[in-house]
Amino acid sequence: MVEPVYIVASGLGIAFLLGLINKAGKNPAGGVMLLALAFMTLVSLQWMSSVVFAGNSPHYTFTAGFQPPFSISLMMGEKEAFFTTLVNLIGLLGGIYLWERFHKQGVNTMIVYLLLFVGLNVVVMTRDLFNLFVFLEISSVAITGLVLLQREHKAITAGFKYLVATGIISGILLIGIIFIYQYGGSLYIDDIIAANLTAVKGGMVAIFLVLIAIALELKPFPANGWALDLYQGAHPGVAALVSGAFASAMVFVLYKLLPIAGGQWQTMFATLGALTFVGSNLLGIKQNQSQRLLGYSSVGQIGLLVMVVGLAQFLGDRLTLIAYGLLISHYLAKAGLFWLAGVLDQDQIRNWAQLRKKPHLLALFGTFIFALVGFPPFPSFFAKWELIMQLSAGSGYVWVGLILLGSLLEAVYLFRWLGYALKLDHQQLPAINIQWHKIIPIVLAGVGLFVLGYLATPIASGTAGINFIPLAFIILIYFLDVLPARVKNIVVIAAMAYYGYLIMPGLEDVRFIFSVIFIIGGILTLLAGFAYKGRRKGFYPAALLMYAGLGQLLTAETMLQFFFAWELMTIGSYILIIRGKNSIRHGYSYMLFSVGGAYLMLAGFGVAYAGSGMADLAAIANITQLAGWAAVLIAIGFMTKTATLGLHIWLPGAHAEAESDVSPMVSAILLKAGVFGLVLLFIHMGGEAASGHPLFYVLGWLGAITALVANLSAVFQEDAKRLLAYSSIGQLGYILFAFAIMTHVGWLAGFTYTLNHFMYKAILFLIVGGIVLRLRTHYMYEMGGLIKRMPYSFIAVLIGIVALAGMPPLSGFAGKWLFYNAGIEKGWYFQGGVIFFSGIIAFLYLYRLIHSIFLGQLKDRHRRVKEISPWFLIPAYTLIMGIMVFSAKPGWILQPIGQAITQYFPSSPLRWQADGTAIGELGYWNGSQVMVIVMGVFILITLWLILLNRKAKKVEQFNIVYAGERPERPETTHISYNIYAGYNKAIGFLATPWISGLWQWIADGFRDLAVQIRRIYNGNGQTYALHLLTYVVVVYLITIGG
Amino acid sequence: MDLLTRVLFTLLGLFIILNWGLLMTAIMRKLTARVGKRVGIRWYQPWINLVKLYSNRNSISHGVMFQLGPVFRLLGGVGLVMFMPLIYGSELFTNFSFAGDLVIILYIKFFGMLGMALGAGEGGHPYSAIGVSRGLSQVTTVELPFTLAVIALAVQYNTLSITEIVAAQQGGILNWTLFTNPVATAAALLSMLGIFMHSPFDLHKAPNEIPIGPPTEYHSSYLGILRTNAAILHVIEAVLFMNLFFGGATSWPMLIVKTFLIYFISVFVGVVFPRFRIEQSVRWFLQVPLILGIVAIILIL
Repeated sequence: MVEPVYIVASGLGIAFLLGLINKAGKNPAGGVMLLALAFMTLVSLQWMSSVVFAGNSPHYTFTAGFQPPFSISLMMGEKEAFFTTLVNLIGLLGGIYLWERFHKQGVNTMIVYLLLFVGLNVVVMTRDLFNLFVFLEISSVAITGLVLLQREHKAITAGFKYLVATGIISGILLIGIIFIYQYGGSLYIDDIIAANLTAVKGGMVAIFLVLIAIALELKPFPANGWALDLYQGAHPGVAALVSGAFASAMVFVLYKLLPIAGGQWQTMFATLGALTFVGSNLLGIKQNQSQRLLGYSSVGQIGLLVMVVGLAQFLGDRLTLIAYGLLISHYLAKAGLFWLAGVLDQDQIRNWAQLRKKPHLLALFGTFIFALVGFPPFPSFFAKWELIMQLSAGSGYVWVGLILLGSLLEAVYLFRWLGYALKLDHQQLPAINIQWHKIIPIVLAGVGLFVLGYLATPIASGTAGINFIPLAFIILIYFLDVLPARVKNIVVIAAMAYYGYLIMPGLEDVRFIFSVIFIIGGILTLLAGFAYKGRRKGFYPAALLMYAGLGQLLTAETMLQFFFAWELMTIGSYILIIRGKNSIRHGYSYMLFSVGGAYLMLAGFGVAYAGSGMADLAAIANITQLAGWAAVLIAIGFMTKTATLGLHIWLPGAHAEAESDVSPMVSAILLKAGVFGLVLLFIHMGGEAASGHPLFYVLGWLGAITALVANLSAVFQEDAKRLLAYSSIGQLGYILFAFAIMTHVGWLAGFTYTLNHFMYKAILFLIVGGIVLRLRTHYMYEMGGLIKRMPYSFIAVLIGIVALAGMPPLSGFAGKWLFYNAGIEKGWYFQGGVIFFSGIIAFLYLYRLIHSIFLGQLKDRHRRVKEISPWFLIPAYTLIMGIMVFSAKPGWILQPIGQAITQYFPSSPLRWQADGTAIGELGYWNGSQVMVIVMGVFILITLWLILLNRKAKKVEQFNIVYAGERPERPETTHISYNIYAGYNKAIGFLATPWISGLWQWIADGFRDLAVQIRRIYNGNGQTYALHLLTYVVVVYLITIGG
Repeated sequence: MDLLTRVLFTLLGLFIILNWGLLMTAIMRKLTARVGKRVGIRWYQPWINLVKLYSNRNSISHGVMFQLGPVFRLLGGVGLVMFMPLIYGSELFTNFSFAGDLVIILYIKFFGMLGMALGAGEGGHPYSAIGVSRGLSQVTTVELPFTLAVIALAVQYNTLSITEIVAAQQGGILNWTLFTNPVATAAALLSMLGIFMHSPFDLHKAPNEIPIGPPTEYHSSYLGILRTNAAILHVIEAVLFMNLFFGGATSWPMLIVKTFLIYFISVFVGVVFPRFRIEQSVRWFLQVPLILGIVAIILIL
């Protein structure tokens, strides 16, 4: 074992020797410096393997052979090993990254660089307060030096402000140390803790000064203008070190020193951390400068870690996982982002679209963003999960709320940024200059996140069933992205089929029903992908990610597995949605609603965990306290996916602007994930026994009003896909209503609608999507008369709308019939009336859809347009067969569903007679007979008409009765634009988008707040100094009092 | 009863309804004319019209959907007859109502409407599309008070079966829904004015403005089918109201008298009031009729 002290010795020694080595040239000097850092890293790693993994006891180094307090002692325990490894590793990678910089600035920079790491290592390891102060100074000065040596104006002013700030902090720290020595008689930290200075008069002030100085080093909001200027002004390579190494070390120092206050002030630090986390992320939402934005994010993340340190008493033995998980994700992702900023050299986040010139860098960027926000499979995901669970278990709900608020605000700007990178125009931007020494550290950071996420899984609780094979396969597909789309399509469909083969037989009841939608629906919609040529870069990993998430939702048994799958699905669907041409805004709003919903769900799971002490999904069934809250939070989380009124504003744009084959995926299939969640929730809430819960009454009304408003909005759309999107919102309203009825027949109606909506909405979106691909327009008034050119599409749409309208004999009627029975049985007459009214309003938009596209007048430019791609027709017609079977033999599907839900809803099930007649409490209906009768009459009348009109003459387009005139152009004759003007005049006010207005108002409110608060950062060093002092005084007054 | 007998009696019922519908149309037109101090048509004019239309030798087609439009339309009317029990107590004239209850009646109505709208759409005439958009707009609010009334009835009689609703009203005029549930009946009858689409709710065909709305392009046997359907539809919809609110019918003469009187209500209103604009008509049903519907629901809560 190499003594830890050699870390310091080698660093210092090489730093002194560098001047000499430099005589041999800059390359040898740089090489030796990197070797020194590599050696330091190795020593730390070796201790990590010994202390952490082999479980050896901590190692103490006593300098000069004396015992403390008469000597400086270094300790190498578990945490020290971990933190020195972090520090040294980033030193090594950062050194590689800065290679060119060192070359340019000369050996002095290298010396300062080495000293920074010597300082940080000692800061981590030392057990002596004064020694800590000295090496902290060395580190701070080294950072100042690195910044100032850049010799650029913005760097110099930033470095100077940093110097002023750290000067003040050092002063406070030093005074604190003096007083501590005065009262405690020792500088050895263990002695100080033992001395219990809080009991001594004046000791409290001494401790306060030391701890507040450390807190100030952690750049607390709002006294952190100097730090933000540093992040902005410093070279990205240096900023990465400040964020990754320095801040990590300081968090550990805080953790190390906090015991001297003897357990007091933990809450204060948690509060300061929370203030920083929320405040800093709030200000970030208005920031457009990339490095400063990263600064806000860094400060915020460190605030979160301070919170974790302060809340340690809640976290018990999970503290390590939580703290390390958050820290490592921040450390790798933030360093990676700063390094990327250096590669791009683009000041404005809008210009990060440049990344698209190198898609692998874009993938890394996405990795970092998702890791920061806390998505799976990264360590931060597991850490955040555990954090929320443990805080909830300790009833720390206020903390939970603050953490989720801060995280959401962080997601606001990070996903804005990711959206810019994914979507904004990059043609005008210069090519990226690839230097390998800069790329390697970034790649390592990205890979590290994946590997550590994988390694973190077994440590987190409730993760046993998480299957990483689909994720590994997705990574494989990512690397196969160079293959043609058709090849990938075959591979992906085969993989989906195999996955379905693996999981579907093991699923029962409700899960099996949804697996049909997720897996078979997935395969069918993927078939449409054959219509695309080229490579479709990035499409397949995203699609697979979504389907893998959906598949794992089905197999999830614990809450964590469920949430893991949910978040995977969200990532995949986000990338799919934002691929659309004009989707930047819609993908963004989808993501924000998803993240917000996921956080509410997380909070709900937290309450469930706290109330039941279980990690299983069954926890929801066993909550002993706050059960209502858990249900409400989780339900709202799911309703962001089902786009219930109020949470729906992301959907129309997201579904309408998505690619033609993505729209059916996200509309017909993805929305059902929310339904699946609600179904599971309702089952766990107790099924029939819980049906009196007031939540269901509210949800029933919400569903009904959603259906009404969304259907009405669909009536007034000119964009065909937007019309279908609003229609989906409305249909999901029906589904919510049906499940909220919480009776046997109500649930049958819910499942009927779920299956039907999956089928007909997939058909409609596939066909309309195919038409949009052909005609290059979404607007219905630009279409017309296409029945002549696209007869197969017409038939598919016709069947789709008849099924959607709920007209007998097609399967949509089953849903309507069940609705009537269930609604009346339940006594929900008014809600039922609203639902019925919405159903009739649906006729308006359905007619508009089919008439404006297929009927009326064919446009001149479409006279030669061809039928849509067969790859869109094949899945559509397959689903039509499904509808036909469901329509002709509803019992085949409804009877097994009825049996499956009887265990949850045993009372008054639907009875089935031998001839297939379904009998409810009120009415009866025989789908097969209705089908036979209607088809029989239809055929007879058709034959009769054919007989009568066998000599009918086919006429040309404009051969119509037109009052003696001749219509000139299709455009003036095709009635489509604003076709329901009169209806709009009558009750269009009901579709006024005031909810979008409300959300806009909230968003503007946050932005304005950020703008106002940002003004305190005026860039003036003196003001920043005043901030620091004011902060100290205010915190003093609050904690210790006047 | 074997299937053949059932089919034959259903066809017989259909035949009676068709002819009664034609006669009723003629009588109503005659009455309307007399109110306007005109002589009016001869009582057998509807038959002559039908014979003429079906025997027209020239006809044109705008396409398959155009041809199917009238088929769907007639399917809507005939479908209603199929699933509607006509004569209470007569097994022969219950038609195929064993296959579905009131809900299927409510929805099969729309089948014809939508099919017609599609056929008219392929005709390509602007008036057709305008007429359809008006008609559909109006239907949405027309159906709302009617639905609430139906829900009130279903709760009152605890069934959605039309036969059982009729059965519950037997045994004296005071057992009719009209008297047992006057509010729901009032709501439904006001809706009925919109369902029959006479003035002031005839804006889908709006004579003098967009003559004659959706069927503008239809002629010869197409129009013949539409006229046939109109005759059936007027009677069968009146039968629906008769069954739900006026005690049903135990014999054909009773059916004829009751349907005549029910249908007469809408003709009477039509003679008195001029046509609404779309927004007036759409909103009208959301006022008194809707309030009555809501009151009907409140009464059963």
